[in-house]
Amino acid sequence: MDIGISLKEIVTITYLDIHITYQSINYHFMKTLKLLSSLFILCFVLTTTAQSAEDIVDTYIENIGGAEAWNKVESVKITGVGKQGGQDYPFVATFMKDGRSNITIELPGTSMVYQAFDGETAWGMNFQTQKAEALDSETSLNMKNEAKDNVEVFLNYKDKGYAVEFLEKTTWEGTEVFKVKLTKTPMVVDGKEEENTEIYYFDTENNVPIASEAIVKSGPAKGATAQSIMTDYQEVDGLYLAHTIIEKFNGQTGLEMIYKTVEFNTEVDESIFKMPKE
Amino acid sequence: MKKITIQLVFFLCLVAFSVQAQDDSKINGEAIFGDLTARHIGPALMSGRINDMETHPTNPRIIYAGTAGGGVWKSNDTGTTFNPIFDDYCQSIGAVAVDPNNPDKVIWVGTGETWTRNSVSIGDGLYKSEDGGANWKKYGFEKSERIANIIVNPKNSNEVYVAVLGALWGDSEERGIYKTTDAGATWSKILYTDERTGCADLAMDPSNPNILYASMWEFRRTGWSFESGGNKSALYKSTDGGITWNKIHNGFPEGQLGRLAIAVAPSNPNVLYTVIEAEKDERKGLYRSDDAGESWVQLNNDFGLTVRPFYFSRITIDPKDENVIIKGGLTGSISRDGGKTFKPLGNMHSDIHDVVFDINDSDRIYAGTDGGVYRSWNGGTTMEIVENLPLSQFYHISVDNDEPYNVYGGLQDNGSWYGPSRSTGGINARDWNSIGGGDGFRVLRHPTKNIIYSESQGAGNVWRYDVDNELIKTIQPLPMKGHAKLRFNWNAPMAISKHQPDRFYMGSQFLHKSEDMGNTWEIISPDLTTNNPEKQQQEASGGLSMDNSGAENHTTIFTIVESPFDENIIWVGTDDGNIQITKDGGENWTNTSLDIPGLPKHTWVYHIEASVHDKATAYAVFDGHTMNDMTPYVYRTTDFGKTWTSITTSEITGFARNIQEDYVNPNLLFLGTEFGLYITLDGGKSWSKFTNNVPSVAIHFIDLQKRTNDLVLGTHGRGVIIIDDISPLREISPEVISKKVHFFESKPTVMVDQSGFSGNFGAETQFVGRNPSRVAQIKYLLKKRHTFGKMTMEIQDMDGNKVSTLSPGKSKGINIVNWNYRIKQPKIAKGKTTTGAVSPRAPAGTYKVVLTKGKETYEHSIELVYDANAGLTDGDRADKQDVTMKLYDMTQELAYIVYQIDAILENTGTDNKLGKKMLALKETLVITTGDNYVGSAEPQLRELMTQVFAKIAYSYDSPSPNEMDNLSIIEERFSKAKKDFEKLKSKAKTKSMELQSFEDFLND
Repeated sequence: MDIGISLKEIVTITYLDIHITYQSINYHFMKTLKLLSSLFILCFVLTTTAQSAEDIVDTYIENIGGAEAWNKVESVKITGVGKQGGQDYPFVATFMKDGRSNITIELPGTSMVYQAFDGETAWGMNFQTQKAEALDSETSLNMKNEAKDNVEVFLNYKDKGYAVEFLEKTTWEGTEVFKVKLTKTPMVVDGKEEENTEIYYFDTENNVPIASEAIVKSGPAKGATAQSIMTDYQEVDGLYLAHTIIEKFNGQTGLEMIYKTVEFNTEVDESIFKMPKE
Repeated sequence: MKKITIQLVFFLCLVAFSVQAQDDSKINGEAIFGDLTARHIGPALMSGRINDMETHPTNPRIIYAGTAGGGVWKSNDTGTTFNPIFDDYCQSIGAVAVDPNNPDKVIWVGTGETWTRNSVSIGDGLYKSEDGGANWKKYGFEKSERIANIIVNPKNSNEVYVAVLGALWGDSEERGIYKTTDAGATWSKILYTDERTGCADLAMDPSNPNILYASMWEFRRTGWSFESGGNKSALYKSTDGGITWNKIHNGFPEGQLGRLAIAVAPSNPNVLYTVIEAEKDERKGLYRSDDAGESWVQLNNDFGLTVRPFYFSRITIDPKDENVIIKGGLTGSISRDGGKTFKPLGNMHSDIHDVVFDINDSDRIYAGTDGGVYRSWNGGTTMEIVENLPLSQFYHISVDNDEPYNVYGGLQDNGSWYGPSRSTGGINARDWNSIGGGDGFRVLRHPTKNIIYSESQGAGNVWRYDVDNELIKTIQPLPMKGHAKLRFNWNAPMAISKHQPDRFYMGSQFLHKSEDMGNTWEIISPDLTTNNPEKQQQEASGGLSMDNSGAENHTTIFTIVESPFDENIIWVGTDDGNIQITKDGGENWTNTSLDIPGLPKHTWVYHIEASVHDKATAYAVFDGHTMNDMTPYVYRTTDFGKTWTSITTSEITGFARNIQEDYVNPNLLFLGTEFGLYITLDGGKSWSKFTNNVPSVAIHFIDLQKRTNDLVLGTHGRGVIIIDDISPLREISPEVISKKVHFFESKPTVMVDQSGFSGNFGAETQFVGRNPSRVAQIKYLLKKRHTFGKMTMEIQDMDGNKVSTLSPGKSKGINIVNWNYRIKQPKIAKGKTTTGAVSPRAPAGTYKVVLTKGKETYEHSIELVYDANAGLTDGDRADKQDVTMKLYDMTQELAYIVYQIDAILENTGTDNKLGKKMLALKETLVITTGDNYVGSAEPQLRELMTQVFAKIAYSYDSPSPNEMDNLSIIEERFSKAKKDFEKLKSKAKTKSMELQSFEDFLND
């Protein structure tokens, strides 16, 4: 007997694949959002307990353009491509100093707001209905905590309660690094506050993070290790940031994000952050 | 200014790097391994041995499992799933403790399993995490070997007690109870008996942290015996935080004592239970004290309470009811009448080592067994296994040459299995096949037939399984007239021949050979061991509790290998230190290990690897740990064993058990040690630990799959771990590592047409082993990590046309970039919903890989070939390619038309004749309403085109007549749409609009 797949099944499978990918992007974008924030975060972290961590972070800030210049950033708009499972997903991501954000991705033949935040409410478009839906209030709350980091949070790091700690000099994928722990505002997970830490690996040669690691804090993968690899640091208007970010999950590559353009303080359509009414 | 700073940093670092590079002439593997990463394939369906379970004092969702050989795992979902949190450190765990004062952050881990069976591993000290398990720091006790308990004062985190059971195989002074009052900075030994007696159990009164109970146990194991008990075993109590200790034996059995468990009832600290191993059977078993140890009453000496004390000695008391207690054992036993009577726990894997109650609901129980963690929701009546703990403990593995190849192996207390190295949707529990019961050890596939040999302990059964016909026969050699009683090792060796497929060897003290797959046997050697009668007294083994399971059988052959060059050359290694060789098929034997430099006499010959490069060369790995010697011993001979030369260095930590020689590069060797995998690239002059997703786990056996070059590790605690295609390591040389970029050679990539279905409903909480990549892989070595500036990679055809853009790896060392051999996905017309993307495969052929790093460009070529299994002719392939690319072009053309329509509509609006017509046309080209689910609109041209495009491009086959017929309908409709569009476009004032050219549109 010939085992075949009907046309309908092929279409369904195709949709299913997209759906799975979409969900994965969800996670990785969340992480990348945080990662992007963390680039700013690290600009201004100081600590009273670990002098060497402070030095590492200070040098890093200097290397990527200096605190003064980063303080002038009101908005960042990034266009790029997310690569996953052999497919390209172009995206436009906009982050505002005031915490608002919008990530719009292109799917084959259409585009959709993957995730946005208006300062209070996080929302995104439902893949099936393509209508905007608010994310759960806990996610909004956590995004609010994270969103304050979008651009300038470390100018007021003490008020935010962030801390850095030097752990050790070690190697990451064969490269010598400083391992630094960043402790951020606790997250609320299933109604309970949990500590929110990330490990950063600063290349000892260039003193910029080449990787970060965090334990996944919510969702089915809670407890697993997610890694971000940062490469291709490039200058934009005197500021340096990684232009390629590879997300790994338990050591396996998930999403690769390649920035094509990065614009600071560009004109931004203010309407993109608010959840549209039906 | 900042640029100058950066440049200065770069310059200084460059100087530092150059200096370092000049000083270092060794090949540092750690800086080379890069993207060469291991994948774990489990299996997890039978999991592996658990040593210690631990709960969080306030959050019932958090459960820890300290495993015998697979590290520490943490569950955040009440034991539904677990994640490993201790991979970088010793994987043999004795105790896990959560600081009750800071339970979200501070976790202590004592390494070294404490259920001291013959196959236990060793620990290497005490660790603490202060961030919930993300990072760990060592706190000494390097020589403790096994830590039984850690207790943190619930009122003072700085005060911690550590119970050190200590060395199993020899004397040690690092035993007893230690206390810190400064959170681990310094320790004092507060209870010590002697170098044979360690602390087996420690308990604290929950209402008074100064009251401690400690059981001291005199014990010793050798390779051939076990002894539990003596005059020094005792139960002690301290009421002053460990300053003074008194024996509390009122009511205890007379004579020597063995292993004792101790537990204090959380709900009533005056109630204590102990399980006593005593001289007389009738005095063994469970004892209870209702006066905090002043006096004891014996309650029960049922089998469940007295069985194998060295293996089961844990009492758990319901935190809410002192009369509900559970005792670990063969099945685990629960009493609800204060210990008077017991019933077995519900069905689960046998050998229950630890049990914990949920902190709030005593109906919820977690049990740690020889087969993983089990949960119960009804007080232990029914148990269900945790399905994502791949802790399988392999003694041995082997591989076949099927496609995909299978991995075979035997497990501690979990039988023998084989499973595929790749399966649709990942390697699932259901992919594994059982091929033997009991404890499984060696498993070998017949070289040419679908027949598998497997065995259980001590060659009690050796099965020959005809897989195709489902026929099983036991074929173990039986005693023969004129020969002594056969002595088989617990882990009895078997071997097959490269020269005679039906030949099968087994080793007792003699070498047995069969030429007919085990039907008939002949003995082709004298006793090859030392035949030392002192090491053959197993019926006297066990100490106070006789334990003659066969696990201590000694003076036996342990490893056999027939030379790949000559079937008459056979190497045999014995557990008492002999390496015997015959060059005439067994007529004459020579013991080559009588005087090996640096090797203590009688050190266990764990593995002999006959070289595939040279007839006279072999490697021998000796394991001295059962003589309390943890040194790695690896030797090479190049003269049939006349002389042996050590190839170990101080870079190796932990004793070694197995070595694998590469088939191509004789200098490339892989060593399995108790703490992970080591690799040498220079024939043993230097070794590097391989850590890319290989935990510090005991590796008992290694095999190298010849066709795929996959290194397959049989671990004793983390299942099968595979490093796919180690061939890049063969090219590593001082010259190669000095190059900025070096591309590794690769075999042509087959564009696989085979696929399957992977419905896995109901498997959401199961472990799934990762599949290997089957796409084209571009592998190269970078001398230095790329961090600043652009680095890109393109695939081009040989004329330089771009086929695909890839994201290159930028790590120092080996980088592996995947190309799914598909060309760039086409531009798709924009509509309301998504259509899914169709990316056709590139045609077979040679492609250029262009790596651009800053201003420099590096080129390499790779080859793609079609999958012969699909049965397509060249003509079929050409047809498919033509039609696929036709649809690819049509898709982009349509996308451009819709782009133009949108641009015109944006310019003119829809409130006019032209706009209305344009909109009407667009509505026939793409879906403009509906959603991606059940509210989807009627498919339009884009959707119809994509459907047939996907159908043809993703089929293994060439286009069918039906598909071509369907395509012609779409082509007609498209042709008409194009004409309609051109007509309307001519009426629009497009010159005033900024319309992209087709080419710009495609490249946007």
